[in-house]
Amino acid sequence: MNNIQEIAEHKPTPGFFSAVGAIIWKDLSAELRSRELLSAMLVFALLVVLIFNFALELDAGTRRVATPGILWATFAFAGTLGLNRSMAVEKDRGCLDGLLLAPVDRSAIYFGKTISNLAFMLIVEAVVLPIYSVLYNTNLFNPGLIVVILLGSVGYVAVGTLLSSMAVQTRTRDVLLPILLFPVVIPILIAAVKASSGFLQGLALTDVMPYINLLIVYDVIFIAAAYMVFDFVVEE
Amino acid sequence: MKPQPVALKVLNVVSVLLFLAALGMVFLYAPLEETMNYVQKIFYFHVANAWVGMLGFIAAAVAGVVYLVKHDQKWDIIELAAVEISLIFFITTIITGSIWARPVWNTWWTWDTRLTTATILEMIYIAYLLLRQGIEDPDRRARFGAVYTIIGAISVPITFLSIRIVSRTIHPVVIGATNGTATGSFNMAPQMLFTMFFALFTFSAIFVTLFWHRIRLGQLAQQVEQLKLEEF
Amino acid sequence: MLEYSVSIKYMLAGYTVFLAVPAVYLISLVIRVRNLKRDLQTMKEFQKKNPK
Repeated sequence: MNNIQEIAEHKPTPGFFSAVGAIIWKDLSAELRSRELLSAMLVFALLVVLIFNFALELDAGTRRVATPGILWATFAFAGTLGLNRSMAVEKDRGCLDGLLLAPVDRSAIYFGKTISNLAFMLIVEAVVLPIYSVLYNTNLFNPGLIVVILLGSVGYVAVGTLLSSMAVQTRTRDVLLPILLFPVVIPILIAAVKASSGFLQGLALTDVMPYINLLIVYDVIFIAAAYMVFDFVVEE
Repeated sequence: MKPQPVALKVLNVVSVLLFLAALGMVFLYAPLEETMNYVQKIFYFHVANAWVGMLGFIAAAVAGVVYLVKHDQKWDIIELAAVEISLIFFITTIITGSIWARPVWNTWWTWDTRLTTATILEMIYIAYLLLRQGIEDPDRRARFGAVYTIIGAISVPITFLSIRIVSRTIHPVVIGATNGTATGSFNMAPQMLFTMFFALFTFSAIFVTLFWHRIRLGQLAQQVEQLKLEEF
Repeated sequence: MLEYSVSIKYMLAGYTVFLAVPAVYLISLVIRVRNLKRDLQTMKEFQKKNPK
């Protein structure tokens, strides 16, 4: 919060990028101190992986086939947790109102929140991948897979930040976000699982490209759409 | 509530008559299909229902955009009406699609592109209704509804394409098959084609009628809500 | 060709759905209108009793 005040004091209209940067910095430094969000997401993600292990009871061969699906289901569920907490904190501590009072473009709030949400999600994914590799004896250090996870997470968080901004302002709050988010995010899940699977199985790049393209198209379209529409979600 | 305008009363009658006429055409005019026998006759109303669902979907998306531009509550009423009607007609489409699939392909469900997308669309509609239910302020409810309609409307075509890309790589599309494929193609006699178009026309009229009635309901609801907000 | 008795059974099931679902929706519309009209009546009476 102080950063934004400082910026507001020094310049009449803080630049767009400095506002975005301030928001990201606020979220990341707050999280660095308390580590609530990340620990919750991490523990949850690992528990989900564990549950899948017992729920599915796969042999080594089937497990290889199921890995992309399990990974993405885990990321989707843990991601919801992160999005919810991230927005709820804003609302509860009154930061959202503070941000809205600051003379910054509304979309700076959107981009700031989205990037910090993305950071959290990527950190969780970065931890889950090696642990999954060890637990299931599968090599997940595949550059193609990393790209897919990056693209998928960007799209997920782009839509998720917008929808969680809405969900947090309703009566049902947390519960509503997965209901709103999952049907809309299905193209990401489809493309990401297929692309991940393709890279892990070592398929030719031409086979995987349609799905990568799909992810890129989705990301671009939804970042644009969310940016255009975010104002209506936070106006008072 | 204002009394029904003459145009609406006429539409009521016309819709009922067209519906009966369409039924007549399906059972008395359209010929029997070779491989599937009577169950194929579901096709005519199934497609018509899907068509109406699509109309409602587009109407909802357009209403959402217009609301955000104009901030006129009227468009929020239109949007909700469109979503509700589209929801109903797509449910019919999905259920009858399943009923048709059972005897023909021996399965209640196929994860084919259209059925799956329709189901996801229904989930988006239900999410939309739940979203609205959780908001008491009419202005915020309308804004959020419009935003979610737009996000949903953008994602559904992308979902459809995604699923299609997946199925294409698994099952190469066989065009013009005469045996039953996943898309349920069969040879259409000209009378069948005409019956189908007549059903589409009939259900378009039914759509307009129901849409109008539902909008009137929405206006009445808005009236009541405004009174309640003033008093309490 | 699919057997007649099987085929017609499913067709009838399908057309039952085609008729039943819109019918139920129409009935729901009628019920909701009736309830709203009653609410409107109640609100108007309430306003009359408590003029501002």
